[in-house]
This record gives sequence, structure tokens and C-alpha cells, in this order.
Amino acid sequence: MFKKVMIANRGEIAVRIIKACQEMGIKTVAVYSEVDRHSPHVQIADESINLGDPAPSESYLNIAKIIESARNVSAEAIHPGYGFLAENPDFAKACADSGIKFIGPTPEVIRLMGDKIEAKKTIASAHVPVIPGYPGVKQDLSTLIKEGKKIGFPLLVKATAGGGGKGMRVVHTEAELEQSIESAKRESKSAFGNDSVFLEQYIDKPRHIEFQILADEHGHVIHLFERECSIQRRHQKIIEETPSPVITPKLREVMGKAAVAAAEAVGYTNAGTIEFMVDSKQNFYFMEMNTRLQVEHPITEATTGVDLVKWQLRIASGMELTIEQTSLFQRGHALECRIYAEDPSNGFLPSIGTLEKVELPIGPNIRNDTGVETQFHVSSYYDPMLAKLTVNSENREESINKMIWALSHYVVLGVTTNISFLKKVLEHPEFRKGNITTHFINDYFKDWLVTKEGLPLDAIIALAVYDSLHPQRQEIVRYKEADPHSPWQHVGRWRMGR
Amino acid sequence: MAACGALEDGAVIMFINYEHNTHVYNVTVERRDNKFFITYDNNEYTVNAIEVKPGQLSIQLGDRAIKSVISEGEDSKFVFIDGSIFKVKRIELTGRKKTEKKEGDLNSPISGTVVTTKVKQGGQVKKDDVILVIEAMKMEYLIRAPYDGKIKKVYFKEKDQIEIGQLTAEIEKEEE
Repeated sequence: MFKKVMIANRGEIAVRIIKACQEMGIKTVAVYSEVDRHSPHVQIADESINLGDPAPSESYLNIAKIIESARNVSAEAIHPGYGFLAENPDFAKACADSGIKFIGPTPEVIRLMGDKIEAKKTIASAHVPVIPGYPGVKQDLSTLIKEGKKIGFPLLVKATAGGGGKGMRVVHTEAELEQSIESAKRESKSAFGNDSVFLEQYIDKPRHIEFQILADEHGHVIHLFERECSIQRRHQKIIEETPSPVITPKLREVMGKAAVAAAEAVGYTNAGTIEFMVDSKQNFYFMEMNTRLQVEHPITEATTGVDLVKWQLRIASGMELTIEQTSLFQRGHALECRIYAEDPSNGFLPSIGTLEKVELPIGPNIRNDTGVETQFHVSSYYDPMLAKLTVNSENREESINKMIWALSHYVVLGVTTNISFLKKVLEHPEFRKGNITTHFINDYFKDWLVTKEGLPLDAIIALAVYDSLHPQRQEIVRYKEADPHSPWQHVGRWRMGR
Repeated sequence: MAACGALEDGAVIMFINYEHNTHVYNVTVERRDNKFFITYDNNEYTVNAIEVKPGQLSIQLGDRAIKSVISEGEDSKFVFIDGSIFKVKRIELTGRKKTEKKEGDLNSPISGTVVTTKVKQGGQVKKDDVILVIEAMKMEYLIRAPYDGKIKKVYFKEKDQIEIGQLTAEIEKEEE
């Protein structure tokens, strides 16, 4: 096993990996940019290295700086987490060239799976179904438009190097096609440094269901069942669960086998995820493979009892997988919510500010993965995800109730978060019934506004009590100056001129 | 801003205006030790309350317990009630405060970088045409023309930093 591992990431995932290393007696090295100097992941690591400039390209995406730092501290391996360099084959290659073990698959496999077109071809050759589309052999606008019309509408424009909804556009009409292709190309260029896109038929009422894979370097591949990630806003997952409410034992077996076959077809090693789209008739199609640890991995850990990060470390150090497929079971049900610093009443725009108070819910089978704490400053440099909340119970209904309880006790003050929105989604009767698709948010929450009902009475009472207990100095005026007959006094709530 | 003063028997009364999303809430609160008399919308609520620890309130209203956490930001307060967070400002009401939103908001919804500008000064635009594209946190935000018209001025060019609320462009509305 490794003696020292560098974690080339930040936030909750860096914290989660560092803790796994510490449990295994592995020394950890954190990296950080100037604005993350006091972040929890830096505090808990054994060593930390300042990468300087907070711009991602100068810090968490700077391959040369990270490799040099790892060599300076004699780290034997680097765990990339997710995002940043996790799916960058050049980084995996640079690690190998410097004699540092990259905790993930080989650079060749990352490159192959990162090229969505080649990935689809390779996976299809392993007899796994794929979605019809244009692979984007030619990238000029006129060819893409022509091919787009051939596929028909609605269709998807996707970044070849993409993931996480970035560089992706749904096109409903021919008129939107050109603008969507251009915009997807720009976003992809800025997020991934590559503006190639491909086109794909848009599947109606699709569910996003993915399978977790573990593969060692000795040819053993297992799957750890599915995760349903259909609840997405702007193609970004926000609520994930396992088991999926629609997967039958039969379909689970078939899809699990397909996932293993896909991983075997590319010679996959370490932890990975095969994403499928499942339509209303339970047909499933390969979408893409994520060659890294997923954000939503805790729900798999909660239901299988397997620690995926520890297995990543063991596999990377050359150990054999000792878990047999037949010994794995899904126990109960788990749900995860992603807590974002974003403002649901303002188009879900990222909310920036200093966290004045963070108090996490604690209770049986409640897991908090977080990389922030009180006084942490949420900046615009990085992804606005603050934390993940995972719960597990005997069944889906209990998980939902537990999650609603936990969210109701989740205190993050200083920025606005999506917590109230998450609660509304969980309380929705169709969600409770398990009738979900990737369009769920669009179908039921398109015009949802947190502020429709205004400030609740309880908030007004709490504010009044608080302000009465904490009068500000300048407010201490003599009583006679205050006008108890002011017309403002009893008019209640009113709306400002619009 | 609230007016506040001491009554003869030592109680403190305050008149406060809270602003939350363009609505204003007028509240009076009178405190006698741990008892608070709160008037809002012509109703009076008598509550017992204590601050359990800084910002954390335990309030008893009749047979109902209200648990709330309040923290102070730079110019506003954040109130936590049952999983929801409300950002509230205290305001002074001297006449009407202007928070009017003009038809067609051309202000930037976010701080970020301008990726492209799609129009030139003097150019014609149709409603919903893209004026410029702002990137923040690797996501793109489009500023669209709120109506047909002529571009009077574009305040930003490619690669410029833009702050939340800044005006991106001015459009002279086309007469119908």
C-alpha cells in the first residue's frame, strides 16, 4: 500500500478521500489555491501545498505545478477526485511519466472514454446498445446543421470532451440549431479546452440510470448495482437514489452484465461508472462512461457496505479485488441530495458570500460530505456545490422522510442554497410515487419560486425577537421621537412599486 | 431603520420594516424580559423566546415551538426556518424606495466574464436576440434583447469582467 498520497482536488471530495487515506494509515498531501487556504481539506491533511492563483488553470488544473509538487513531497500516488483533472488523460500520462501512480484507469482508457464518439463505437462492439446520432466526424457548422436535420428534433448537442451538463444543449427546433451548436462549442472550449461536439437523438421520458464498476488490475470486474440520477436541473444531477424505483431484478441483472461487459471491452481498471439512459419501455442505451469516482458514490456505499475510495486505493496499489459479484447485495434504500450555493428565487444563479453559520443535521444513517465550514467564503472560481447529504433507510419512503427531516435541520446561512427546493422536489407526489424522468424538474418545477408565498409568519416573529434582543446602536433614539401612530405601523405586508 | 425607545416601565418597543423580495413587512415588537409582543398585519402575537446560543432562537407561540437560526451578513440577515432560508433587509421608509425593475432587464444577473458580444453600437436587434454572453462557474448566461430596437451602447467587450447588477447595454426601443 502507498505511504503517501496527494489529493489533487478541493472541497468535499478532497475531504472524503483524505479521511479514507487516514483510516488506512496513508499520509496525505492536500493542494490548494490562494482562496482555499483555510478550507477544511487543507486543515485535515498531513501536508499541504499552495498552488497560488485561484484561477483553475493556474491551480487545480495546472498539471505541471501539481506533478512538481507531488515529486517535491515524494507522494507515490495522486487521487484526482472528480472534476478538474480526474478525466484528463494528459494528467494521467504525466503522472505515469513521473513515476507517480494515478489513482484511476490508464491514460489510454481515459482518452478513449473521454472521446464520446470512440467510446460509443467501442461499447457498441461489446453488444451494448447505444443511442443513434451523428458522431461529429466533421466539426464545421454546415455539416453539423445538415446532420442535425437528418437526426430530427428534438436532439442533443453534446461536448465530445464534456460531462456534467457543460457544453450540452437540447435543440427543439431547426431554428435554434445554429445558436445552440455555437454556444455548446464555446462553453465546451472554456470548460474542457476542446470545442468538438456531437449530436444525438433525444430519448423521450428518459431515466438516467448508471452502474458502478470496480475493476482491479488482474482482470476482475464487478458491478455494484445501479444509481438512479434522473432528478437533474440543467443536466446537473441534484438528487440520486439507489435502488432505482423502476429497475426489476431481471433488468438489473441484464444491465449489470452489460456494464461489466462494457468495462471489460475497454480494459477498464479502478472505479468507474457506466451511464445508461432507460426509456419508458425499459430499453436501455449506453450514454457514457465516467472514468472516475462519482459525486453520488455515497449512496452505493450506503446500500452495499463497500467503501469505494478505499478500493480505489487498494486497486491502484496493485491489490486484487476480493469482493465476489455473488456476495454483493443491495440493502435498503439510499438517497443523496447535493447542496448548492445557488438562489432558487433568482434563476438558480450561484450565490456568493461568506458562510456565517453551518450546522449539519446529525442522526441515525445520515451522512454529511462537506468541504465547507463557518466563515468559509464561497467564491465564483469553483463549482457552487457546498456539500452532499446522504441518508439510508429500510425502504424508499423512509429514506424520503428522513431526507426531508435532515434538510429541514440543515443550517447554512450567509449564502442562499437550494435546500428549500430540494425539499419541495422530495415532497412532490410524483417523486414519492417514483414517477421520475430527467425532465422531472422541467415538468413540475419550471416556474417554481421560493418566494411566491413571501416571508412566513414564523420568520417575521423570529426576526422581530432577534432584533429586539440585538438593537443596533444608531437605533436607540428617544421614545418620543418614535411615532407610534405612524401609518407604516399596521399596514402589514405590502408590495413595493413595480 | 427602526425607531426604538424605552417605555416607562422599562419595556422596549421597536418599529421595524423588513424587506424581502420587493415586499415590505411592517412589524412592531415590544419586549418585557423574555416575553415579546409582536404586531404584524393587525394581529398581535405574544411569544416567549430565548436565544439559546448566538443567533439560535427558541420561540414559544401558544402551543407551537418555532426554532430559528439567524445570522447577520454585510447588509442583510439570513433567517433559517424549517429548512428554508430567507434573506431579509431592514429598511428605513422615508417615502418610496425605488427598486423598480424596468421592462426588459439588461443588467447582468451574475458576476463573471464576458465571452462574446453579439451586437454593435447602432445595430438593430429583435426581441430575444442575444446581446452578450457571460460566463461564470463554467456556465453561460445569455443576455437577450427585451424588445425590438436599436443598440444605443454596449458597455462591455469580450474578456471584460462584469459584476452582478451592472448594465450590459442600452437599447432604444423601437416605436410601434
